[in-house]
Amino acid sequence: MRRRRDAGALESSHGIDLAPMLDFVINLLIFFIITAVFVKEAGLDVNRPTGFEQPPENAPESIQIQILDNGEVWVDNRPVDTRAVRANVERMSAVSPDSGVLIIAAERAPTGTLVEVVDQVHLGGIYDITFITQN
Amino acid sequence: MHARRHAPESEDHGIDLAPMLDFTINLLIFFIITTSFIKETGITVFRPAAVTAEFRDTGNLLIAIRENGDIWMDRQQVELRDVRTLIERLHIERPDDSVVIIADRAAGAGMLARVMDEVRAGGITQVAIAADPNADGG
Repeated sequence: MRRRRDAGALESSHGIDLAPMLDFVINLLIFFIITAVFVKEAGLDVNRPTGFEQPPENAPESIQIQILDNGEVWVDNRPVDTRAVRANVERMSAVSPDSGVLIIAAERAPTGTLVEVVDQVHLGGIYDITFITQN
Repeated sequence: MHARRHAPESEDHGIDLAPMLDFTINLLIFFIITTSFIKETGITVFRPAAVTAEFRDTGNLLIAIRENGDIWMDRQQVELRDVRTLIERLHIERPDDSVVIIADRAAGAGMLARVMDEVRAGGITQVAIAADPNADGG
């Protein structure tokens, strides 16, 4: 005890003992490393009609795209390929420039087709997309 | 052993820990500020592909919809009617969260619409549909 106090007085340049703090910091570090998640989701923004149950919001100026149960896409009462949606949207938005797009999907329409259509509409330059479902 | 305990008294007090401590604390700060507490879904689903999908910094509440309509969030399967309660609770905990719904390619659009409505009813209006911007279509 006595010797230790002497030694401490002699080597006062040591400063405080860092070991407990170091233990603590390394524990914190390990905690944050193992809880770190580097997931970042990519997503598409789609609107829903504001009412709780979907009101048939058939604003006349919106471009309507229908998706059927089997994944068929109908624009303007014609069946089109999903890759042709972009061209159709571009044509129709040239006629009425600031119109939104209304996607009417069937209850069991596959989400893959829905996302492809949204993607195509984005490529066609319209980001105001509303999505409703009907049976 | 005995000799060793006595020997270093005069000259040596171990290696210098200061640089290691600096480095460790920097690492610690890095991990603290990059932690985002994402609520993962717990399952893997086959995401649809979309070229225009954007990465979102705030989308940290993930809800997965499987092909058969099962809903998974926060590493457990939940019922559609429970989604709203869960979202309300999480929204109170972290009000600036937004939701990303990860729906399987073959999942029905009706279930997607219902989950979106439940999330909105739970108080979060920022809802996006997940898509994979790197997939080569199809």
